[in-house]
Amino acid sequence: MDKLAPTLLAVPVEGPVDNATYDAAVKNHVQKLSKILKDQSGDIISHGSNFLELLDPSVHSLSYLAILHTLLIPGPATSVSRDTLLEKLLIFLLTFDPIQCRYAGSHLHDLFLLAGGGDILPPSAAVEALATAILRLDPTGSMLTTAHVCLARLAYSTNNVEPALQAIDKNIVFFPGMANPTEPKYLCDISLPPPAYVARETGLTGTLKPPQVMEYDLLCGLMYCSRREWAKAYAAFERIVAFPTREGGVSKIMVEAYKKWVLVSLLLKGKLVDTPSYTGASASKFYGSLAKAYTSIAVLFVADDARELKAEVDKNTTTWLDDGNGGLVKEVLAAYQKWRVLGLEQIYSKISLSEIRQQTTSAETGAPLAKDDDVEMLLQNMIISGMLSGVIEKNDDGTTFLTFLSPSTNLSEQGVAQELASSAIRLKQLQPLFKATRDRLGTSKEYIKHVIKEEKRIEKSEPDPTLAFDAHVDDEDLMGGVIATG
Amino acid sequence: MASDQHLLTYFTTMDNQGGIIVRDAPKLDLDLYISNYQGRTRFERLLLIGQCSVPLCVDALKAAIAEAKSGKDIERYRDAWECIRIAAPNEPEAIFDQAWVTATEKANKAETHRLEAELKGYKNNLVKESIRIGHRDLGEHLESIGDLNAASETYIKMRPDASTQAHIQDVGKHIISIMLQKGDWAGVSGNVNKVLINMSSEQQNADQPYHKIVSGIALLGSGKFYEAAKCFLETGDSTVAQQYNNIINLNDIATYGGILALASMDRLELQSRVLDNSSFRTYLELEPHVRKAVTMFVNGRYSSCLEILESYRADYLLDIYLQKHVSALFSMIRSKCIIQYFVPFSCVTLDTMSAAFAKPGESFEAELVSMVKSGALNARINTIDRLLVAVSVNPRAAMQKKALDAAKNYEKEALERIRRMSLASAGLEVKGSHKASALGGSGSLPGVGDIWYDNSRTQPASGESVA
Repeated sequence: MDKLAPTLLAVPVEGPVDNATYDAAVKNHVQKLSKILKDQSGDIISHGSNFLELLDPSVHSLSYLAILHTLLIPGPATSVSRDTLLEKLLIFLLTFDPIQCRYAGSHLHDLFLLAGGGDILPPSAAVEALATAILRLDPTGSMLTTAHVCLARLAYSTNNVEPALQAIDKNIVFFPGMANPTEPKYLCDISLPPPAYVARETGLTGTLKPPQVMEYDLLCGLMYCSRREWAKAYAAFERIVAFPTREGGVSKIMVEAYKKWVLVSLLLKGKLVDTPSYTGASASKFYGSLAKAYTSIAVLFVADDARELKAEVDKNTTTWLDDGNGGLVKEVLAAYQKWRVLGLEQIYSKISLSEIRQQTTSAETGAPLAKDDDVEMLLQNMIISGMLSGVIEKNDDGTTFLTFLSPSTNLSEQGVAQELASSAIRLKQLQPLFKATRDRLGTSKEYIKHVIKEEKRIEKSEPDPTLAFDAHVDDEDLMGGVIATG
Repeated sequence: MASDQHLLTYFTTMDNQGGIIVRDAPKLDLDLYISNYQGRTRFERLLLIGQCSVPLCVDALKAAIAEAKSGKDIERYRDAWECIRIAAPNEPEAIFDQAWVTATEKANKAETHRLEAELKGYKNNLVKESIRIGHRDLGEHLESIGDLNAASETYIKMRPDASTQAHIQDVGKHIISIMLQKGDWAGVSGNVNKVLINMSSEQQNADQPYHKIVSGIALLGSGKFYEAAKCFLETGDSTVAQQYNNIINLNDIATYGGILALASMDRLELQSRVLDNSSFRTYLELEPHVRKAVTMFVNGRYSSCLEILESYRADYLLDIYLQKHVSALFSMIRSKCIIQYFVPFSCVTLDTMSAAFAKPGESFEAELVSMVKSGALNARINTIDRLLVAVSVNPRAAMQKKALDAAKNYEKEALERIRRMSLASAGLEVKGSHKASALGGSGSLPGVGDIWYDNSRTQPASGESVA
């Protein structure tokens, strides 16, 4: 233990230093650690718990990680009590020093996957810890990693959506394995964009294939569905529906996502919107033929006949269940009447509840609601959920009626200003993403070749041969004779 | 009572055949009405009235039989007889005049032979003008005996021998006449243009009434009301138009022009194109009620305008060209009236509106609902205070919403573009070819075929290992 102590207890860097010093010091430290790991893993296993007590995971992150890794992988060591070990793992995941751990490579990633596997930690704790850890490593959350996929699977399958939201709410724009990775000079540079240090090369993520990328979005969409956050679910499914394709490619997940997307579109927008313009052409074709049952629901959803919708839904019950969309379809049926009520807003400014009852039908039963009170309840739910802007009032003669409020009155001047300001801030936050993408693509070999070629072309084509030809013709007046004789 | 019973069965059959039945008595006088027309259109009009109008049925059918017998068209006689046989079997006209039919049939055949022989003779002599005349005579004969297809073919044969502009026009007019009888509206429009192409402007002016009339009818037939209205309003010289009473008469021009304009033009256009149109005034004088209806509309007295039109509905329904479009035109005029009525107000009580527009026994609110729904009327109904409230546009709010939407869309699109660039550069697209599908994992589909679908099934959360 004494032999190990100096290395393990060493603080690689103390105080604020420049990137070069930091980089050198940490690399040195890592080298020593890996030597110990290789030669003296037995000692670590036997004395591991003592060191874990001594070390502060936020300061000695790398040492802590090394010990944890040895103790947990391939299986939890018997020398330490399992509870302590798991507690330490959690503490580490929640408090590790993200800059130091950039140097940890695949060891950190292994721990992420271990936590995300859901076997050793209780799922709710694992989801929370993993989500936090992912964001500690990459605070922007803009880079998809294998840990993300792991997190999404665990969160969805164990129904621990809430703690995962902090990570899955982030906009994913980067993916591992992007061409032309910039070799970062110093891994510790805090101005590095996430793809520069979270990469296969640094071991902080594994390789992803298209199905996994789509699976991640699909799981996100499903989680949002379970929380009834239709807008986010819609966006998630749309990402899969319009997934970039090449040479007429389509995948099963895309078709599945399209089915869900159609249903969520009905819930969110009250109708089926066109797929984004950049949807693959052959994918669209497949959607049309493979998701007919869903699109026919969408057509009936905007029509006035609730009974027909219900009949169509009942007819295809097995399809919904086979596709795992029974719940969503039920939601769609329940939403039908709400959207019909919203449709009334285009016609009426005030309308009595009994008229609403006569004019709208519930698609769940295929019949109008039985009592005006039911209508009132429906409306109240809609108003509370923010779907409907209106108030229920009572007349002197006892008629209860609904007054639709125009949407423009909802937003005050300050409200608009605030919205605009926050929009501007969000747009500004896109700046680093732009920069990272531009830097990456601007320095790629292909682009530089293209630029050089363009320059050469311009040089060569000067003077423009066609211009010269025109001048030539003018001088000799070749056409003159033709016109005269013609 | 027996005759009523016959009429009832007759109109039940008509109704079953999808015909229009007019129960109200029209304002027109049958004899006076038909005396305004000449030629084959007389029979068509009489038969139509006989088939549609309950009060005039028997009289019109009798007149139609007389009309048919005065001509040579046996088919027409049969048609009219078929009608009167059911409608009024006790009338003397209901007895089939076999002798006349046989005699006419024989005469027709003889005449056709004679003309064909004559034509052959002309052809042997190679005199162009004679051949043309021969074709024309034969065509006219065929038309008069009701063989429209053969007539049209014969008329077309006139064309190669037409040597002057007048001849070509003559061909055109004959062909158009056939097409009008057949209801080939597209054909009429096409032929009118063909005739017009090679014409000097002087001739065009002289022939303007004819062209405007036939293209107006063709446009009306194909449902292009605004263009049709313009044609009728531009008919021009009424003395020239008078000559074409084998197609329509001046009263019809006034009616068509007025009604179509009411249905398709806005108030300003109605004033300038209809009321202030000096050449059309001569026509309008013949149909003062049309003029009155237009004036009422322009002056904002919509209910009186609708009342006038409504009182003439039966007449319009008995017109061969207008009949099919009456209900569409009337509802267009009606919704225009409602919209115009509402324009100056921000809020109108439903009771006032229904007093002005409601038809007895029909729910006015349902009509309003459908108009609001279709977006024709930019208003909202308040069923509690029984008001129709105009939608106030708030450009400021609309602009603000637009700005916010634009910002949001920009953000969304920017993110999506970066994402797609990244996906592409990471080689993560779903690829279509077979080779790529092996690389792209089980989720990729190789192009077409059905077997792949089950084979490459990838379920989410299927515990597939990452990395």
